[in-house]
Amino acid sequence: MTPKPLPSLIAVIDIGTHKTVSLLGQVIDGKARMLSFSERRTDGVVKGTVTDLEKLSQCVHEVVNDIERGSNRAVEQVYLSLSGPAAEGERVKGIIAVPAHDGKVTAKDVADAVSSAKRLEPPAGRATLLYMRQPTILDGRAVSNPVGMAGRRLEVSFWRVTMEEGNMRMRVGMVNGMSIRVRDFILASHAAACATAGEADKQGGVLVIDIGAGTTDWILYYKEHILCAGSIPVGGEHMTNDLSVALRISRETAEDLKVRFGSAVHRDADVNQTIWKDGDKGVGDQQFNRGTITKVISLRYQETLEFVRKDVLRHLEHIFPGHAVKIDQQMLPSGVILTGGSANLADAPEAVQVVLGLPARVGIPSFENESLRKPEYAGVVGLMAAAIIDAPPVVRRPRGFIAVLKDLFRF
Amino acid sequence: MSTASSILLVGLGGAGCSMVTRIAPQLPGEVAVALIDTDARSLNTAPNTSLLQIGRAQTRGMGTGGEAALGLASAESEEAALRRLFTGVPLVVLVTGLGGGTGSGGAAAVAGIAAEMGATTLAFATMPFSHEGERRMRQANEATITLAQKCHGFVVVHNDLLLQQVASDAPLSESFAAADTWVGGAIRGIASAFAPGALIAADPSALRSILANPGSPTLCAYGVGEGEGAAMKAARAACECPLAHGPGAVTKVASLFVYVAGGPALTTTEAFEAVAAVRTRFGGETSTILCARIDPTLGARIEVSVIGASLPAPKSPVKAKKGAKEADPSQPVFEFATEESMRRGLFGGTPMTFIDGQDVDVPAYIRKAVRLPSAP
Repeated sequence: MTPKPLPSLIAVIDIGTHKTVSLLGQVIDGKARMLSFSERRTDGVVKGTVTDLEKLSQCVHEVVNDIERGSNRAVEQVYLSLSGPAAEGERVKGIIAVPAHDGKVTAKDVADAVSSAKRLEPPAGRATLLYMRQPTILDGRAVSNPVGMAGRRLEVSFWRVTMEEGNMRMRVGMVNGMSIRVRDFILASHAAACATAGEADKQGGVLVIDIGAGTTDWILYYKEHILCAGSIPVGGEHMTNDLSVALRISRETAEDLKVRFGSAVHRDADVNQTIWKDGDKGVGDQQFNRGTITKVISLRYQETLEFVRKDVLRHLEHIFPGHAVKIDQQMLPSGVILTGGSANLADAPEAVQVVLGLPARVGIPSFENESLRKPEYAGVVGLMAAAIIDAPPVVRRPRGFIAVLKDLFRF
Repeated sequence: MSTASSILLVGLGGAGCSMVTRIAPQLPGEVAVALIDTDARSLNTAPNTSLLQIGRAQTRGMGTGGEAALGLASAESEEAALRRLFTGVPLVVLVTGLGGGTGSGGAAAVAGIAAEMGATTLAFATMPFSHEGERRMRQANEATITLAQKCHGFVVVHNDLLLQQVASDAPLSESFAAADTWVGGAIRGIASAFAPGALIAADPSALRSILANPGSPTLCAYGVGEGEGAAMKAARAACECPLAHGPGAVTKVASLFVYVAGGPALTTTEAFEAVAAVRTRFGGETSTILCARIDPTLGARIEVSVIGASLPAPKSPVKAKKGAKEADPSQPVFEFATEESMRRGLFGGTPMTFIDGQDVDVPAYIRKAVRLPSAP
């Protein structure tokens, strides 16, 4: 009997630099129930960039096979995560003068502002993937729904994510090659936020930093909306690499030592600790100075957070030109949420406090299945959550007036 | 002019000239010194050296402003003068800083002319600091590939690594002085070994037998010891010399040249202990050339200098078929492709990623020049 797809099924694939994770869930009353799950080592991706399409296709094919076999359901369409340098974000704005005599804003005015914002062409060779709505500003005040309110100047803005066309076609083509449609792309950092940040966090303001193996993606929520998002091409593999260069050890040994003895904060007490590679002091066992390990890793970890800080500031300065922007607890009452594999590193929240001056916590995704309640699965769990919340439309949807109106009511 | 000297020390470009000017006074009198630069100003400051300003027509004495093409054109335009400079010199030691114009562009041309004139050429090239940005690093990486093909011996000095060796609060001059000590010590070792009066002497052709093949990575180390067990201390210092520990440095070599110098108290046992320690660390199974000298000015100090190279097995010459394509000279030498890649570790071979002008694949501790706690 051939397995039948169900309309309530949602399949998501999170392609990372280190591992590719896929989850198939069934939506019941707005909540996802896990049907099957698969995780495989990614091949052909370096620092978030695809270097070997054939190997990557093979890997994606395997995880799709896994979830189909695990659930005995056919997968027809998937949501793909989007992270790393491939996705670039920018703010697009549409401003109109309210034409009515009484100054009351109508739905058509909002639609005009939206279409004028979306009329801005992406840079040549890049395709628009997502628009994420930001607060609507009426005469300098942020309002949630301006229709019916009086004002003169209506400003709507979106966080627009674009991707190089060739790269997008390659990813879509890879999935289409398995007779599966790409339902939509979801920004990985947005997904991580959906899995770990609560409504209260988003309403106040929160910075979610997803430190993966090859890239570090961040997203900033301010007053309920996505203000900006970005990516740094540095991740956990760089920490492993630094350690393997410093101690002249293999990648595997370095990874193992990083997990067991690494820390995001270097302490003077570490210097006098001698640690053993295997611990049995047998043949081939080596001893290292723990101080060297924590020094190398904490330098890289804190530098990565520093890059995030600079990137966030750069975006904020662009959004609020002429204002002295600073990242502090007043702006982000919920502080920082760390997700991704490298959120597991010891003292990671303390490093955030040191570099960004904000309280931080490790984001554990809320999910019924206990084995996925780990920060490294925030991405895939969040994809499922984002897919349910947003129910985003198909990529390259028709861009007519009706579609624009539909867009309006979706937000 | 320099027929009396067996060694000619050449500084090329701004960085090369200033390093040579700093280390020249410590060298024995047998070493002739020459400075080559496009910038007239850096040449005027040096006493007792032959000066050669290149590229007058191209730069009008102003320096190249970081243009490697200009550096190359400048060096080529002075070919006749360079040939005169290298006539009759058996060993040329070229010191240059890569990344700028004169060094990156001119080094390969100058080394090529020296080699053509029959000199054994040993090049010391400093790589720019990571903070100097993408363009200089690219230019330097490209220059290492061409330079390595022209020299018999090629030692890369990473500025980043040198900074790590001094305390973080040390003045800037101290870290440069550290670089001078290691490079100068190694050159002094070679020079003293060839000078008359050595206890166990060697001649430049012996060094040539080690550095026979252009393009083979060269090992270079220098260490000083003092007090009780000075020889072993010096040997250990040489083993831990940052020149031999740069990313991409050779760790074991087939042929070694070891020079031990000490005061009158240096004993045979001590000298051979030091050599044995160096051999354990660096290899030298195929041949080890040993030099020793008693130098009363050293007092209780003992110095150890090491030069070594892995000779790749000589390929039997293949007769080119009629009409066959000639080898592409732009094809990089394989050994040196790993030079850059080892600095970047597992990310070697991947495109460089720049943030704030730094290649972020290079370990953070190297770029920030942080000294790591020593091994237990």
